[in-house]
Amino acid sequence: MKSALRLAVVLLALVLAGTLMAAILELPGANQSLPAAVAAHMAVSGVEHPVTAVLLNFRGYDTLLEVAVLLLALLGIGAAVHAGSETEDGGAEGDPVLAALARLLTPLLILAAGYLLWAGAHRPGGAFQAAAVLAGAAVLLHLSGQMPAWSSPGLLLRLGLAGGLLIFLALAAGLLGQGALLRYPPEYAGALILLIEASLTISLGLILAGLFLMLAGRRGGA
Amino acid sequence: MTDAFLDPLPWLIVLPLAWAAMAFLMGAGRGARLAIVALAMQLFLALILATQVLESGPVTHVVGGWGAPLGIDLLADGLSVAMLLLTQAVALPLAVYAQAYFSREAGQFWPLAGFLLAALNALFLSADLFNLYVTLELLSLAAVGLVALGGKPAQVAAALRYLLVSLTASGAYLMGVALIYGVYGTVSIATLAPLMGSAPPMALWLSAGLMLTGLLAKTALFPFHFWLPPAHGGAAAPVSALLSALVVKASFYLVLRLALDVFPNLTALVAPGLGLLGAAAILYGSWRALRTHHIKRLVAWSTVAQLGYLFLVFPLLAPDGLALQAGVVQAIAHGLAKAAMFAAVGVLMLATGRDTLEGLAGVAHRVPLTLFAFGLAGVTLMGLPPSAGFLAKWLLIDAALSHGQWGWVAVVIGGGLLAAAYVFKVLRQAFLLAPEDSRFQPVPRSMEWAAFVLAAASVVLGLRGVELMALLAQGAP
Repeated sequence: MKSALRLAVVLLALVLAGTLMAAILELPGANQSLPAAVAAHMAVSGVEHPVTAVLLNFRGYDTLLEVAVLLLALLGIGAAVHAGSETEDGGAEGDPVLAALARLLTPLLILAAGYLLWAGAHRPGGAFQAAAVLAGAAVLLHLSGQMPAWSSPGLLLRLGLAGGLLIFLALAAGLLGQGALLRYPPEYAGALILLIEASLTISLGLILAGLFLMLAGRRGGA
Repeated sequence: MTDAFLDPLPWLIVLPLAWAAMAFLMGAGRGARLAIVALAMQLFLALILATQVLESGPVTHVVGGWGAPLGIDLLADGLSVAMLLLTQAVALPLAVYAQAYFSREAGQFWPLAGFLLAALNALFLSADLFNLYVTLELLSLAAVGLVALGGKPAQVAAALRYLLVSLTASGAYLMGVALIYGVYGTVSIATLAPLMGSAPPMALWLSAGLMLTGLLAKTALFPFHFWLPPAHGGAAAPVSALLSALVVKASFYLVLRLALDVFPNLTALVAPGLGLLGAAAILYGSWRALRTHHIKRLVAWSTVAQLGYLFLVFPLLAPDGLALQAGVVQAIAHGLAKAAMFAAVGVLMLATGRDTLEGLAGVAHRVPLTLFAFGLAGVTLMGLPPSAGFLAKWLLIDAALSHGQWGWVAVVIGGGLLAAAYVFKVLRQAFLLAPEDSRFQPVPRSMEWAAFVLAAASVVLGLRGVELMALLAQGAP
């Protein structure tokens, strides 16, 4: 019975994959070209890299909601973990070589994150990539026993987690003065985008680190 | 251009996001009063927006000032505003209810609820297929977090099942959006509408199918209903109320929006199938509601049944707008009534300390106001006059008769009778005398009144149908 079900699922997936391929192969050329529209507006976007321009300016509203999605993911994990046993977990017993390496790498990772954030204005990079590097540093510190897992974040940490969203939101609403949500005045667009990206880097870095560190506390209890 | 600050439309999204983030900052269990004040403001904003739409037609807000297709446009037409009004009208009494229900053990309820409401408002206002995906994602994650809130193993299991269904469904929707972008190079609904020719390529068929399947799974239409009873039946009472009243309506709204504005040519082909699934949902859901002894499961199965009515609308969609009106009135009537019913059941369970039908004996004497609220909500679900549920079924029967499709009439009437059977099953038990050894816990009055206000609204709305019809006539330009 179970293997028949499995076979049916596999067949369904194959049919879907086949249909998708057939559909994509016969795609007609689109008569709208968004890349052209993006290129035409790059001069007033405040940045030089099209991906950053789309993420933070043309479709900045999507990114605003997406930041809320990430915070929500952390909230969801917090709700599930909080219900379980609460144990203090100081991380693994430190291997001295690993600990020394982590101590050596962390400042470099922070530097790399800063560079990625800055680079986002004119080449691939930006807040999300920088935040991932920061989160990586936090995970490394935890694994080498130099940073405890999180059980319930204190006020300062909560401020760090939600700060990026709040600053982004306050700017979006403040720009209603220009006539619409997130309508940057072109001469300040670059500076405002950098401000948003900088605060997002810290908040997203903490959120991504939290996704690991909150579950790490749970694992220590099991 | 500073009058953009006074525009209610963007604030309906900014305000709930702001109070959700603030409630998170304030820490676990805090933020109830902030939420109630903000929700009162949101209701006021939605009413202003409704008068604007009534007076001068649909309102747009061009985010970033770029304009579709480069940027993202927000659009409030009659359909959007009706759903926005329902959302704020259900959320405000439920917030008052939840403040008393959770007292100090709310955990992350307030930030999660704030993000949920922000997602709903953003979804109803969005006119961009990809932005709609982002709002769906926000909505699903908030809803899953709320289901898991109590942290009991059954709740976490229900939340995980809900999460898996919801993520798969979101993935299917997103794949559909990607195909549409591949064919037409845009995801703005207004830009897409004129491009939809009468001979769509295969990719468009596939895209419509994927998006529809994803959204049906999220709406829990039979046979995708399996995740709903454990999730809605096992969550905390205010959470069940929010999920049953609003969250499943959001994906229904999206099916309706796509059918009307994006795929008008393909809708006629799947419409009879949707109607049949709706009819099956009504019969199967009602039957399961009749069979269960767990009072909250009964209400959750009733949601499965009531969602079926929403899909009877599709085979009857016509330029006369009758079926559309019926669908929206049903969504609103069921939203208010089901929120009231879950709220009332929450009070009954707190008062008796039991969760079975047998445990209800005697509640008629102890918490009469709550039982009255349950009964009023039942009146709407059965579709008795003068409730909004009656108005919805009347419009639906009217639409079916004008198309000469008699079968749907039988389903509507049969569903009403089944609803009466399960509502009276609860009421009969409530009027029995309580056993000698039963104990009743006192329940905060604000919870009883919140349930009553919601139930009364679901009945009284039937008398204000004219305004609602005028609002719905304000279609997209």
